[in-house]
Amino acid sequence: MKKHIYIFIVAFAFYSCSAPKGLYSFDKYQKASYNYLKKADEKSINEIMVQYQKIISKQKGTRKVTPPGMFADYGFFLIQRGDLKKGKENLNKEILLYPESKIFIDRILKLIEK
Amino acid sequence: MKQSIYLILSATLLIVGCGTTSKLNKAQAYKGMYEEKPLSVLIMPPINRSTNVDAKEYFHTTLNVPILNAGYYVIPPFLSMEILKRESAYDSELFIEKPSLKIFNKIFGADIILFTKINKWDKSSLASRVTVEVEYILKSTHTGEILYSRKGTISYNTSVSTGGSFLLNLAASAINTAATKYVDVAKAANNYIFTDLPKGKYSPMFGLDKAEMAGLKVINVRLPK
Repeated sequence: MKKHIYIFIVAFAFYSCSAPKGLYSFDKYQKASYNYLKKADEKSINEIMVQYQKIISKQKGTRKVTPPGMFADYGFFLIQRGDLKKGKENLNKEILLYPESKIFIDRILKLIEK
Repeated sequence: MKQSIYLILSATLLIVGCGTTSKLNKAQAYKGMYEEKPLSVLIMPPINRSTNVDAKEYFHTTLNVPILNAGYYVIPPFLSMEILKRESAYDSELFIEKPSLKIFNKIFGADIILFTKINKWDKSSLASRVTVEVEYILKSTHTGEILYSRKGTISYNTSVSTGGSFLLNLAASAINTAATKYVDVAKAANNYIFTDLPKGKYSPMFGLDKAEMAGLKVINVRLPK
């Protein structure tokens, strides 16, 4: 019995200090973002694209939905690599999932058409 | 018996020690946030006034995650950087004092804009502690008003990992580069700063956190706790 109370207290103490599980999971996305922003070389681009694929395909957050911006930024990298079709598909997925992105993403789609 | 009293005491201390709050609740402290109900956030490149040239990137790449996890839409960071550069608007100094930010609503669909100023980045001679002084300002694109702001001195112990098992941490520290450690400093600071932000539309707590006590605008904290 005592042991249970102890576990409860410790669990509660930790719960109140550490942030509860996030809406989304990001794996190593932040470090990959930093590396890309700093180096922008082939290796860092590959690294961040792997992170987008992981975030899109395996969401461990409480919402179980791809976080805002991920489809769009992934699409942006695909377009830079010359995969225009897949890139545009991802930009459109962003609008579908997050209609508030339409103003901005439509602007990008127009830029690509030019 | 003695042991359990001790435990209860230490647990209470832990809870009390978790955060310093102001005397206002969130509805009072962040009135504009609850009135405007912003959804879309544009992150501007941090203004770096510190002596560490890389500090800008450490902060820039770790700002979107805590805001996303608070339930907001963050405008795609890399795409928005590209457009800001194209429009010659990549320099935040040009906009931070501007009374009207409506143009960002027109181009990006942003409701609020985040400005960040890194004033100091000091590495202690003992190597494991980094102290940063950072300001965060969230401004409405509709009214130009400041809806949320923080000025913080955050001291981070880079030798302590924030999670995972001891063995895993040991393995991680063996391959830890300076850059990896410093991304963690910025990450910890940014995560801490936005814990008090009223929850956004995609959070189950959206609109339900008004009665919570608001944190202080000026903070001084040592992380990890």
